Amino acid sequence: MNKREFLGLSFKSGAATMAAGMFSPMAGSMFGLGGVAEAATKQISPFTFGVITDAHLYNIADHKFDHQLAHSVAQINAMSSAPDFVIFAGDLGQQGNEAELVKGKSILDKLKMPYKIIPGEHDYYLDMGKAWRGLFGNDHWSVDHKGVHIIGMNSILVNDFWTLKSLTPRERMSYMEMLECSQCGLWGVQEQQLSWLQNDVKNINPNTPVIIVTHSPLWDYYPRWNFQTEDAPQIRNILRKFDKVMSIHGHVHQVVYNQIGNIVSAGLMSTSWPWPYPPVELPYPDIRMNRANPADFEDGMGSHALGLTSNFDGVMMYQAFSDGALPPNVKHGVKL
Amino acid sequence: MKIKQAKQVATAALFCSTVVAAIFLPLTVSGKEPPTPVEKEQQNQELMKSVNKGYQLWHSPSLGTNGLACGNCHPDASATNPHTWPKYQTNLSKVSTMPEMFNWCIAVPLMGKTLSYDSDEMVALISYATYMHRGVAFAPGKDEQYGGVPVKSGPGFPTGNDGNR
Repeated sequence: MNKREFLGLSFKSGAATMAAGMFSPMAGSMFGLGGVAEAATKQISPFTFGVITDAHLYNIADHKFDHQLAHSVAQINAMSSAPDFVIFAGDLGQQGNEAELVKGKSILDKLKMPYKIIPGEHDYYLDMGKAWRGLFGNDHWSVDHKGVHIIGMNSILVNDFWTLKSLTPRERMSYMEMLECSQCGLWGVQEQQLSWLQNDVKNINPNTPVIIVTHSPLWDYYPRWNFQTEDAPQIRNILRKFDKVMSIHGHVHQVVYNQIGNIVSAGLMSTSWPWPYPPVELPYPDIRMNRANPADFEDGMGSHALGLTSNFDGVMMYQAFSDGALPPNVKHGVKL
Repeated sequence: MKIKQAKQVATAALFCSTVVAAIFLPLTVSGKEPPTPVEKEQQNQELMKSVNKGYQLWHSPSLGTNGLACGNCHPDASATNPHTWPKYQTNLSKVSTMPEMFNWCIAVPLMGKTLSYDSDEMVALISYATYMHRGVAFAPGKDEQYGGVPVKSGPGFPTGNDGNR
């Protein structure tokens, strides 16, 4: 079965059928992991949304990454049951130029459904987010959709490392462009957004399903590459009152999964290039992708769709561009 | 019969010359004194210059034409696995060495011009990637799905001869 047939089958009859298919014994057995957070008691209206991340567009005409982002948009537009909306999880540009972000926006605007977006470090450190905010508005937000509270936050804020070194904006950006930047320090959402989050969820009933989207993971994965969010413990603490929280993040350019308390976490493939797994043990080593074939420019990349049932069970569908990237247990959806 | 005898003579001669070489070669080599501590330090500094140059090149788009650098896909030289070469490389359809793969990466994903194998640039890239894996056991042909060495801080390679990473 090729990717198109699979997606056509998965989404043919809407989210309810998809969920029934996804929670087949096969899906159940691969998640014999125990400890899945108890499902929220509140019923929601089932729905699906798309997720795209890490396009890393360069200000170079006709660049291959432009086509890969466009491919991702087309993939989501082609889903037989259209997602309600799309989330883009950061790093639309590579070097923070407004031209990259404008190009990215023109591609994302081809989505048939509305989209929400948060920044990544590549979008931000040339002008400290000015161009990004001009195009997309606030970098942290929340929306309610069919009974689910959805939060987006800017998790790529670092303390000033450039003033003492008298770096130009271009130099500051080039430091941040390196995944293994040795001068930049750890990212976080920082104090102001923590207060905002505290206030945002203050009056929300704990049985409300919550989805939180950040560029970096909300757990300590590999700090060297900022596969972390420094104030994630505070975020998890604020969200602790909820029955179940789904955390979705980009930045890692790979399939990765974790559970901490009431939070299940899923990392996403990029549309630009795949990253190797860092030299640490994965908490759920079965949920990973194969090493991509560098001769196939689209291997290990793709878009995603998250389908939710009325009980706030979710399945993350990794819609790979090339079939070889995903082992069967991931290809058939990862339960969140 | 003559041919057989000739072969035996030839074999004996070869054996003798090998023995002679085995006896005299070490003497010839040991004609040079080992480097003094000062010389060794200078040699190490030269090596670290090459490693540093490799680190700069690794993270610079100058090797390609589309903005990409080696570091885009290989942070901290991860997934280069210098200890696993030579090995059969599917993209090249033959047993290959790491520099050949570097040139493939420069030519294809980076859309750049390949380096000559003895160029300073190629030597620097090899120095960086290999030094990052200092201490990892050689295993030609080993299938490493990812690989890489944990790094805590700095550029990731020891700055002294045996400094901590």
